[in-house]
Amino acid sequence: MKKLEFKGIKLLLIIVAIYFILFFLDTTNTQTALNKVSNILITLVPIFAFIIILTALINYFLKPKQIMKHFGQDSGKAGVFYTIIGGILSHGPMYVWYGMLSDMKQHGLKDGLIATFLYSRAVKLPLLPLMIAIFGIPYTIILNIYIIIFAILQGTIIDKLMSKYKNID
Amino acid sequence: MSKTKQQPTFKKAVINSIKSFFSILPLMMAIVGLVGIFQTYITPDIISKFFGYSTFFDILSGTFSGAIASGHGSISFIIAQGLKEQGVSLYALSTFTLAWVTLGFIQLPAEASIFGVRFTVYRNILAFFSTILISYLTIITLGLFK
Repeated sequence: MKKLEFKGIKLLLIIVAIYFILFFLDTTNTQTALNKVSNILITLVPIFAFIIILTALINYFLKPKQIMKHFGQDSGKAGVFYTIIGGILSHGPMYVWYGMLSDMKQHGLKDGLIATFLYSRAVKLPLLPLMIAIFGIPYTIILNIYIIIFAILQGTIIDKLMSKYKNID
Repeated sequence: MSKTKQQPTFKKAVINSIKSFFSILPLMMAIVGLVGIFQTYITPDIISKFFGYSTFFDILSGTFSGAIASGHGSISFIIAQGLKEQGVSLYALSTFTLAWVTLGFIQLPAEASIFGVRFTVYRNILAFFSTILISYLTIITLGLFK
């Protein structure tokens, strides 16, 4: 079973220290910031729960060999397609997905698909009506098509760049 | 595989998933803490001050301010609407709203810690230029249909 190794303890301590300093320098804004933090955490709880369940399901149903097959070096166009769909459907801030992606990476998810996933998240289905209202339908369609094209391009470039260094390493 | 054999495996998958989540929880808490500070000090009013110069400068402003700012994607559209009414170019608004959801200076430490510095640098440089290129291409393509 996995060992529990915490990441980001130093960074968290730095942020806590910043809040302490800010509290003495600018109490009102620090309280506002803390209120924002608590509001963000409340909205993130269901997303955290969803990601924990999704990661468990992926680990349960997709064994490392299958992850390699669907999202590994030889995953091909199907891997890109599933990744884009996943990216578009994923909700919440980018950083909440890092854990799941890191988990899948350990089982063979290739770097290019991580980049593709993270960029295709720019296609925000729930925000499309708002985007259409502000920028219009043609703009919204064209922009989102380009986002998907560039998500694929980024994945391809990242794979080439990372494999170049993997060969050197 | 029998049900009795499957149950401990799924339980193990859930425990591993919870452990994975808790292992990066300090990192996420740090990022949320940073987001709180940024949302307090970098307000929409401050962001709107970055715009209203030349198109080129507005595009750079849009990309950088979108990357620095944080919060729900809908906020970027609401700010963009205000900027549009001020006459800010569509190029700049596109880079701003795109950078808001694809780039994140606040998230860089977390991304580097999990995926490595090299991957993070490459991905963010590519995302930065993609954001600018997509904005240009979208507006050029849009012009072709008019």
